[in-house]
Amino acid sequence: MTPFDFQTANQASWNELEGELGRNQRDLDPDRFLALYRLCCEHLALARSRSFPLHVIERLSSITSRAHQVIYRQSDAGFARAARALLEDFPTTVRRLWTYVAAATALLMIPTIVIAIATYLNPDLILSIVDRTTAAEFEQMYSPAAQAIGRPRDIASDWLMFGFYIKNNIGIAFQCYATGVVFGLGSLYFLLANGTFGGGIAGYVASLGYGGTFFSFVATHSAFELTAIVLCGAGGLRIGQSVLLPGRLTRVAALEIAARETSLIVFGAAVMLVIAAAIEAFWSSAPWVTPTAKYVCAGFCWTLVLCFFLRRPRAK
Amino acid sequence: MISTIDTVITAETPEGIAISMRAAGFPVRCMAFLIDASIRYMIVSTVAAVLAVGGRVGTGVLLIIVFLILWLYPVIFELMPAAATPGKRAMGIQVMMVNGLPLTPAGCLIRNLMRAVDMLPLLYGFAIVSVLMRRDARRLGDLAAGTLVVYRDRASPKDDFGPGEPLPPPVPLTIRQQTAIAAFGWRVTRLTPERAEEIAVLAADAVPSAKDSAVAARLVGIARWQHGQRRLIPPDSAGQT
Repeated sequence: MTPFDFQTANQASWNELEGELGRNQRDLDPDRFLALYRLCCEHLALARSRSFPLHVIERLSSITSRAHQVIYRQSDAGFARAARALLEDFPTTVRRLWTYVAAATALLMIPTIVIAIATYLNPDLILSIVDRTTAAEFEQMYSPAAQAIGRPRDIASDWLMFGFYIKNNIGIAFQCYATGVVFGLGSLYFLLANGTFGGGIAGYVASLGYGGTFFSFVATHSAFELTAIVLCGAGGLRIGQSVLLPGRLTRVAALEIAARETSLIVFGAAVMLVIAAAIEAFWSSAPWVTPTAKYVCAGFCWTLVLCFFLRRPRAK
Repeated sequence: MISTIDTVITAETPEGIAISMRAAGFPVRCMAFLIDASIRYMIVSTVAAVLAVGGRVGTGVLLIIVFLILWLYPVIFELMPAAATPGKRAMGIQVMMVNGLPLTPAGCLIRNLMRAVDMLPLLYGFAIVSVLMRRDARRLGDLAAGTLVVYRDRASPKDDFGPGEPLPPPVPLTIRQQTAIAAFGWRVTRLTPERAEEIAVLAADAVPSAKDSAVAARLVGIARWQHGQRRLIPPDSAGQT
């Protein structure tokens, strides 16, 4: 069969498939569409093996690849799907990767505690972490006399701080996750640095006697913020591990699997950080809320977060 | 040899055919990025001008919008049916999964989160190195997400031969010779007659002829014959196969 005969004999079905592709997906007749698609795949294979002219092959590969996209399209978008991912798959994934979460927690909390104790005992140490002006700023931010706790005197708008927290914190969380691809070093750095910084401030402010204001400030939103940073760090460590120790896979294949496994964690952590930013801007900083009320709320939030990761979704 | 210098990426489907995609390389992606960067800059500066009246609340909202534009601009556009940011669309490229399927939400999210790494150490250094080193021009985010940036439009070769009358091949031809002659027949309209003749002379051994004057026309004739035009066809309907 010459290419000319081949084309004359089969062109009708190619045109028909092309016509179907132009139509709305809901109006398609699935049986007819699939039959046409398989037929065109067969024609393409024949045309390639017989070295038929380029325009025949190109036409056939164009329509088959478009039909392929219609047939194998994954429809996993949608609000219900996103909600299920967030409320069920997210905590399940976190539990499955508990070793990484534990490692990330240790990497964040050990420097926090060590540096906090060290700066509490020797407040001058804060100057090896931040410079003098920043230290003075912290002193002013957490003093019981502050107009709004936890922010510089001249910035008094809750909304401004909300925007700042979102832009800053979620950006850091994303970086903490993504830089894990450099053999886990990026995540390692972000976790250790955040731990050192946070511990330093806590110890320094406590040594000045402002501990009450500081701890009641951080208690509530840290339930979401610290957890989210730890989760992003854990995701980053998982990615770093896949690049460093890919096992029997190629590095790229291992990375692809690790990224798919952990992408949900970053998505969930971003949602948690938005919650944290709202609490930090509108609740934690309010001087009119008594520390007792803040601690009660904090206890509630921490229980909520822990239960979410340990218990969701409920065993059926 | 073509497979080593070409940028065609193939993905096999369950039906056993190979889908081919043309990976978009560094220059075109760089242009797309610059277009997107200027669009983002314009959005941010417009919003900033509008929100300047809003005082501190306005600045807060602006910071949120800067965040959204920084991280979500590509995600939102790539999740639309065109699977491309405005810059990519302008350059005629789009994002696909590496298996030839439309971009999935997870793939889109990962490839854009990984920008945080691709940006390192500065000016998208990692991304540039990765795009230049790999034949499929994928940056780290693409590798992690299993995605690929490809040209949207495919070449559609014309199906008209150059002038010439169908001619049975004088000697039996191998498959390779047949393919080469057919390809010449399709390309000849895009060559100057002199260049066509120059190329055709290379095949003169395979198509011995009495007079060497018009080897190109003879090759086109053989191509027509192979293609299935066994009879003489009036010249005005020659291209209509």
